[in-house]
Amino acid sequence: MLEKIKNFNLKDFLGLDIKNDKYSLVDDKVFGKVAKQKAPDKWVRSTCGYCGVGCGLYIGVKDGKPTYTKGDPAHPVNKGTLCPKGLSEHEMVQSPNRYTQPMIRKNGQLVQTSWEDAFKTTSDKFKDIQTKHGNRAVAVVSTGQLLTEEFYTLGKFVQLGLKTNNYDGNTTLCMSSAVMGYKQTFGSDGPVGCYEDFSYADTIMLIGANIADNHPILKLHIAKNKKITGKKPKIIVIDPRFSKTAKMADIFVPIKPRSDLALMNGLAYIILEQGWENEKFINERTTGFKEFRKHIMANYTPQEVAITTGIEVKDLYELARIYAKSPAAMSAWTMGVNQSSIGTDTVSAICNLALITGNLGRKGATALSITGQCNAMGTRETGFTSSIPGYRNYASSYDREEYATIVNVPVEDVPKQRGYSYPQIIDAIEAGEIKALWLVATNPLVSYPDQKKLRRALNKLELLVVQDAFKSETAFKADVVFSASTWSEKEGTYTNSERRCNRARKAVEPLGETKSDFDIVLEFSKYFEGVSERLFPNWTKPIDAFNEWKKVSAGRLCDYTGMTYELIEELGGVQWPCNTANPKGTARLYTQGMPCPTPDGKAKLLALDWLPMSEPQNSSFPLILNTGRTVEQWHTRTKTKTISILNDLAPEAWIEINPEDAKKLEVASGDRLDISSIRGRIKDIVVKESQNVREGNIFVPFHYNEQLINTITKAEFDPKSFEPNYKQCAVQLHSIKVPDGIKFVEEEIAGEIEHIVIKNEIVYNNKLSNPSKIPNT
Amino acid sequence: MSLNETTPLEDFINFKADTNMQCGNYSIDIEKPKEGEQYRFHFGATACVGCHCCEVACNEQNNNPADIKWRRVGETQSGIFPKVTNHFNSMSCNHCIDPECLKGCPTNSYIKFDNGIVFHDDDTCIGCQYCTWNCPYEVPVFNEDRGIVTKCHMCHDKLDVGQTPACVQACPAGAIAIEIVNVKDWVEKDMAIQGIAPHLPDIEITKPTTRYTINEEENTQKVTPADAHIIKANHSEWPLVFMTILTQISVGGFATLVLGEFINFLGFNLASPNIWMMIAVFIPAAIGLPLSALHLGRPGLAYTAMKNIKTSWLSREALALGIYAGGLTLLIAIFYFEFNQVFKLLVELGVLTTGIYGIYAQSMIYRIKARPSWNKKETTKIFFYVSYIGVLLITLILAINEQYTTAGVVLPFALFFGYFQYEEFTKQRNFYKNLNKDDNNFYQLNKTKILYEDNFSKYNDYRERSLSIGALALPLLAMLLLASGSYSSSILVLGLSIVISFSSEVVSRLLFYKTAVALGLAGNFFAGNQRG
Repeated sequence: MLEKIKNFNLKDFLGLDIKNDKYSLVDDKVFGKVAKQKAPDKWVRSTCGYCGVGCGLYIGVKDGKPTYTKGDPAHPVNKGTLCPKGLSEHEMVQSPNRYTQPMIRKNGQLVQTSWEDAFKTTSDKFKDIQTKHGNRAVAVVSTGQLLTEEFYTLGKFVQLGLKTNNYDGNTTLCMSSAVMGYKQTFGSDGPVGCYEDFSYADTIMLIGANIADNHPILKLHIAKNKKITGKKPKIIVIDPRFSKTAKMADIFVPIKPRSDLALMNGLAYIILEQGWENEKFINERTTGFKEFRKHIMANYTPQEVAITTGIEVKDLYELARIYAKSPAAMSAWTMGVNQSSIGTDTVSAICNLALITGNLGRKGATALSITGQCNAMGTRETGFTSSIPGYRNYASSYDREEYATIVNVPVEDVPKQRGYSYPQIIDAIEAGEIKALWLVATNPLVSYPDQKKLRRALNKLELLVVQDAFKSETAFKADVVFSASTWSEKEGTYTNSERRCNRARKAVEPLGETKSDFDIVLEFSKYFEGVSERLFPNWTKPIDAFNEWKKVSAGRLCDYTGMTYELIEELGGVQWPCNTANPKGTARLYTQGMPCPTPDGKAKLLALDWLPMSEPQNSSFPLILNTGRTVEQWHTRTKTKTISILNDLAPEAWIEINPEDAKKLEVASGDRLDISSIRGRIKDIVVKESQNVREGNIFVPFHYNEQLINTITKAEFDPKSFEPNYKQCAVQLHSIKVPDGIKFVEEEIAGEIEHIVIKNEIVYNNKLSNPSKIPNT
Repeated sequence: MSLNETTPLEDFINFKADTNMQCGNYSIDIEKPKEGEQYRFHFGATACVGCHCCEVACNEQNNNPADIKWRRVGETQSGIFPKVTNHFNSMSCNHCIDPECLKGCPTNSYIKFDNGIVFHDDDTCIGCQYCTWNCPYEVPVFNEDRGIVTKCHMCHDKLDVGQTPACVQACPAGAIAIEIVNVKDWVEKDMAIQGIAPHLPDIEITKPTTRYTINEEENTQKVTPADAHIIKANHSEWPLVFMTILTQISVGGFATLVLGEFINFLGFNLASPNIWMMIAVFIPAAIGLPLSALHLGRPGLAYTAMKNIKTSWLSREALALGIYAGGLTLLIAIFYFEFNQVFKLLVELGVLTTGIYGIYAQSMIYRIKARPSWNKKETTKIFFYVSYIGVLLITLILAINEQYTTAGVVLPFALFFGYFQYEEFTKQRNFYKNLNKDDNNFYQLNKTKILYEDNFSKYNDYRERSLSIGALALPLLAMLLLASGSYSSSILVLGLSIVISFSSEVVSRLLFYKTAVALGLAGNFFAGNQRG
């Protein structure tokens, strides 16, 4: 009331203006009624820039600013729908959290500067460091957020221009286990299935995949299933936490944290024991069955698996039966599987199960890795991180030569082996081996595990360059910031989880003096003598990169040769391989007639072992922490924290805790707790009592810098993929009333488990800073 | 290569996504409702995964700011891990058959269309927000930017031309759809089975039309709303705090005055009322009534609040108290010109009747099912018992006019009503102290209890002390002083008693508003029920 009196305004007081105009609708000729105030003067067809689902959309532009995003009803991925982030994506572009100009650190302060100054300072320093310490003293960590053209250009510049192979992406934090798992099993990376399979499968097994929060639009394909197959699919959700996705489940499988691999092997045991396997498929399409069978039957009896996974024997049989007896069974997974120190093998174990039951390359029968970022796939295909572009092998001289010939560089320029992975780069910085780091669209100061260690390392850098569209936490630490344009301000292609290459168009001019990542790399390369001329002759637009990339991909699994921007738009995205044999792309890999890219064309059944967690519950830290995401936020919130319709629903992190544990701590929902692990302590996180987690397990989302959960997560990595084991570490909670936290109760085990031989022990304990001993990836 | 040339889709409104669902499509295939039918929402609770697409799509469509949500997704949970049920309930308006918003609206701004859509007419709304109290689902929402209430209209203008409502279009699970329902069948048979969902208010209040697809057992489980821990005080409603108390004091004082006139008319040797008393009872009403307009979004249109005498207690209150205030003005003139007593008495009786009816109507505004802490006959009682301050006021004026005997006669009435008020206070305190877990509205009343006993315990303590001093101890002392001839002290004590009592009632009324916890949709862990 006082406010009203203070801000007295006669027009408002009399209520003469209820702003009808502002809230009225007008007819738009494309999308029908739209809000008048935001009514676009044009619609630009594009693709969403958030997650790996890859939804087609139209960006509404009014007065040069994005005002709307609308789902493309003709797009096969999303059929006109968008998730809440996609629907509000236009708000992100004009966010106050964006840089509008390059920045440089002067006298300890980040100040605005010119592009020339930023490029000159950085290139001088790079050259200086490389002269003194060798080319590899400069490292680059990129992202899954750029366009494929930009990835290709960036990778080419880093490896053939800067001549350092210490180049990785933040995709190592989310997708690399899927990459390595697919490689192990099928001989190459490349998700084998497609979204359509969700609509045709009789059984859908979601493993460590919380699609309701992270990929809501996939629900659309599941929703269509009943209409297509005439019956509801059986949905199995395997997760230690009753996530939003578990709501979809016909069968929820509450496995113990990180026991998926044991579960997969255990199901394989039952299938083989019962003779439910598909013998014909195994004979024709796989190798290694004998060893596989022997290994499984010797080590994964249902009784033991029941103890490892916490799932009763009879339930294991039921699960195995449902999966094996389904005419078409689909498994799909994301971070719950990938972000694990045995992630790669877990991926292969999921594939094993699909292979022995013949669930490959048919409608509804597949093993699909769902990707996290909008173009995690693009960085995988165009390579340089885990392979030479086009899934070529560093170790193969043929591959190196082929690539060198296509792009017209001396073959010696092509690295013979992968450089350091992301975690190894951090270790090498700490060891003083790497002096300069160039980060592109990634924010390790929120997303990387064991923050203390990371920050210690970053402090040793002589130069930190951050290329980002947003004021990320990491950018505040940078010496130079390359202020990039973002989604809707640049053009190119994104590849989604089902290998669908989608076109993203430029709808508006870059904000302020920002430049697209493509332009940044191109212009930056000019500061290195001869590099631009050699690598990017006459390149001006992303299509120049696309055309070269098409040539590079020719004949490879990710064959783009049949694609044009026009075709991509006409078909609503094209799934590679797309070539003369498959002019409209390929929905599924390894269908009947399509051999695997292994020497014998067959998929490998692998004998894989489950390993116990390296940091189990113990007397000091009796709880297992699981980290993850929520639908409202995107990764480290650089994009979403200023969009209030999203942020208001999840403005801070919370601890999801079982009411029984809450009782022990004498707290209730809304109270606040501290959380600690051996690596540190985070204060003052709000409690959310919930039956979504079992007693002894807790969940905290990782998005928040303010309650930085990665302070206490463990820097433990999968030895094959280098993906961090984010999802499990031992922690303690501290309430005001119970400051010492929960008492540890040793779990009672009925019988002794016959132990599994740990073959990978040597690799497992290897120091990451010694990459030569790690199997070539 | 420009977009419009290459796209095969020239007109999305007519383009059908092949989902076989209403979702995804910008156009909808649905017939117009026939006689006895209406549109309604279907919500597939088994399909919804709580992604909030519908919320964002709704705001995008209607250009509403982030804090004005016509559609919200509520969350509740039941069960024990791993047998857990998370219920998501996406709700906008239920386009009820018997809408409380419509009945209570003083300006007739709600219209139930022939197709069943409950439509809010923005232009006539004065922003009184009574509908936001009345709707048991908290559907209407006040938009401060516009000074009016707004709500979901099922994108009626889109439906009219065959376009899909925004929420329906957006839901990737196909959980929201528009259907046609036969009203009679629905009310008589189906509503009791298909119209219910966990944590929602009794369907008999408004007869909502939303059809739920839900696992039947979910409706039998005890659920915990995600915002159960959020105990948020309601708006203070300062203009209403003063308006209600001042009008109640005025009517109380006026009633005393009329009683005095009547006794005098009967020939008892007591002082007859004078113009000063008239002015004294007029002033609170004259301050209180215009003050109430300040709580409106469009105060300038306060006068239109009398349009819906037929069903709105708010219209009735506005009209009755309006006449009452006019009557008082007239009476001041009658006193001034010293008309004859019979005529005066007749006019007074008439004005008093409208005044009493006005206060009754005023109390009935709060006796609504959507606000359990208000919805009891005690609300009417405490409104009337505030009249003790009016009696004190008249006593004071009598004392100032040296009519000590009459003052001594009137004062016990103040004590009576003051005592009743005190009794109501203790009754209420005990009610919350021993709140019955089986009460239908335990969830809401328990939050009210926590607000009273924890959040506002100091206010509550003050209320108790000030009431016992202002309404009981001081009037008793004043009586003693009057009887013993210490007139000036008695005037002082009476004055003090009025001041303290008034402050006590202000605190009490403030708590009355602040502790009200509405029925409605379950909320979110952080955002609560998304209502301001």
